[in-house]
Amino acid sequence: MSESLIRLDNVWKIYKLGELELPVLRGINLEINPGSFVTIMGPSGSGKSTLMYLLGLLDSPSRGKVFLQDQDTSFFLEDKLAEVRGKKIGFIFQQFNLLQNLTALENVMLPMIFQGVAESRRREKATELLESVNLGKRIKHKPAEMSGGEQQRIAIARSLANDPEILIADEPTGNLDSSTGKTVMEILTKLHRGQKKTIIVVTHDPNIARYSQNIVHIRDGQIAANHFKEADVLWAEDGKKP
Amino acid sequence: MNLSNLREYFKIAVKTIATRRVRSWLTTIGVVIGVFLIVSLLSLSQGLKNAVLQQLSMVGKDLLIVMPGDITDLNTLIAAVKLTDEDIKIIEGTEGVDKVVPMDYTSVTMRYGDSKKPILLYGVDLRNGLDVLKSDVGWSIADGRWPVPGKNEALVGSMVPTDIFPGMKAGTEANVKGRDFLVVGILNSVGSRQDDSMVGVDLNIFRAVTGERTGARQAMVKIKAGYSPDLVAERLQSNLNENRKRKIGQKQSDSSYTVLTSEKITSIVGNIIGVIQAVIIGFASIAIIVGGIGIMNTMYTSVSERTKEIGIMKAIGAKNRTIVTIFLIESGIFGMLGGIGGTLLGLLFAKTIEIYFQVHPIFYLTADVGPGLILFSIAFSFLVGCASGYFPSRSAAKLKPVDALRYE
Repeated sequence: MSESLIRLDNVWKIYKLGELELPVLRGINLEINPGSFVTIMGPSGSGKSTLMYLLGLLDSPSRGKVFLQDQDTSFFLEDKLAEVRGKKIGFIFQQFNLLQNLTALENVMLPMIFQGVAESRRREKATELLESVNLGKRIKHKPAEMSGGEQQRIAIARSLANDPEILIADEPTGNLDSSTGKTVMEILTKLHRGQKKTIIVVTHDPNIARYSQNIVHIRDGQIAANHFKEADVLWAEDGKKP
Repeated sequence: MNLSNLREYFKIAVKTIATRRVRSWLTTIGVVIGVFLIVSLLSLSQGLKNAVLQQLSMVGKDLLIVMPGDITDLNTLIAAVKLTDEDIKIIEGTEGVDKVVPMDYTSVTMRYGDSKKPILLYGVDLRNGLDVLKSDVGWSIADGRWPVPGKNEALVGSMVPTDIFPGMKAGTEANVKGRDFLVVGILNSVGSRQDDSMVGVDLNIFRAVTGERTGARQAMVKIKAGYSPDLVAERLQSNLNENRKRKIGQKQSDSSYTVLTSEKITSIVGNIIGVIQAVIIGFASIAIIVGGIGIMNTMYTSVSERTKEIGIMKAIGAKNRTIVTIFLIESGIFGMLGGIGGTLLGLLFAKTIEIYFQVHPIFYLTADVGPGLILFSIAFSFLVGCASGYFPSRSAAKLKPVDALRYE
């Protein structure tokens, strides 16, 4: 599998504040291979969130190119980008980002509605997904009636709605206590191992990084280190710890 | 975009509306007011038109009404006071005229029991005219009998015993200028408040009582069978004008008389109510548009409150047109609800008025609400709702996903 899933080619992101130009990402080159589990780490302000938005096609670079399965996404129109996000990428956010007016089931069905999946099919699929994250009994509840851990599990179920190749998680455990955080990470690990999903986790928490095989350190908008070896070591320990 | 998706977007919109209850109500009420105005006023004015036209249809087609002055020119109407006796003679002598019934009226004080009130007293040539009144104008007696020509007998309109002299009955006496009259008959309503408030006597008696010995304010002309009302009306007009010109020279304009045929009256009434209805539609449409601006305001607020939500939807695959659709449905619902609410309230109001007039039969009025009016009001307010939502939904769709997601 030499072909990369996502490839960033000398990507810059520069924010303009009036006359002032603020480079947040400065010449990032990064390849995400299919089936990998990548953690992007860095202190706040390092540009890791911006990098996450670019990887998730939620934003476009000021310079450089983002390739998805060797297709140059800079040629994609907005609607094409929306479609690609909906089909190939699942998002998990720190704030869960569920729609508060909708029930758990409806939240999970929403990405399928956007892709035009038939009603009976999406209901069945959403129910299955919620059952797989142990929320089968709470599908009619609204997010506000559920705990943080439960909400994040809805979000995971939602991210899987259209069977995406890639899951992008932005500080997925940031709003959770350590034991629920652990459950969430275990679900992600299981998805990685069982369903061979490509997983990208953005975090500043080294404990989270321990789950992954590949850790990318961002500092001042540049990749400071890209560890494969150490990650492999951490990965090997995973059976017993943490 | 298939129907099943539309249904889902509809559900999302309904849920959003339901969670912002107070604001949604207020927004809807903004539209309700305009639609209410359109439905209630239009249905009542249409009912009024129907009622008047129905009254007019009771007037025979072979009946003309001659009045001094030009009905389209207020100045001549005020200046020209009466038809002279000579005018009446000319009318009688015009070809095609069967009968002329001159009618004069003036305001007098009438005493009945202990009360004294001003009324409009009219004198009509009963000997000639009673048949015409009965068969061509459509008058009928509710209580009592028709007066006999040459006697001090009075015929009162339907509102006289109800509004002016409560309790007045046929067979009682009333007094005008020292002369006692026997009230012999009470008429059924003839359609207008003014006509139903009048008291009528024989023309000769009228002249003796009021001292207005000559002339008449108008004359009803019954034409002979087989003559065209329009042609006779034309001829009457020219005969009267020529005579006047002969007498006072060329100065007078040639339309100092008005000769109305029943068709002409119908079209005049139709036109007047048409203008009133146009004005109603104009004002009520403005009210609906103001309601639409209310919707727009609510939608802009909604877009800015839901920026993050829009970002989430875009992140999980919503296209721009999906976002536009969701917001348009929402604003369309406001318009539609306003339309339905306004229509219901308007109907309720119009029907209440109708029932009021059935209980107090001042005149015959029904609310005429056709399915066309209802469909129009609801469709129009729905369209206003969608149009008001257009710009807010565009601005929602234009948000960049990353900016919308970062918005707190």
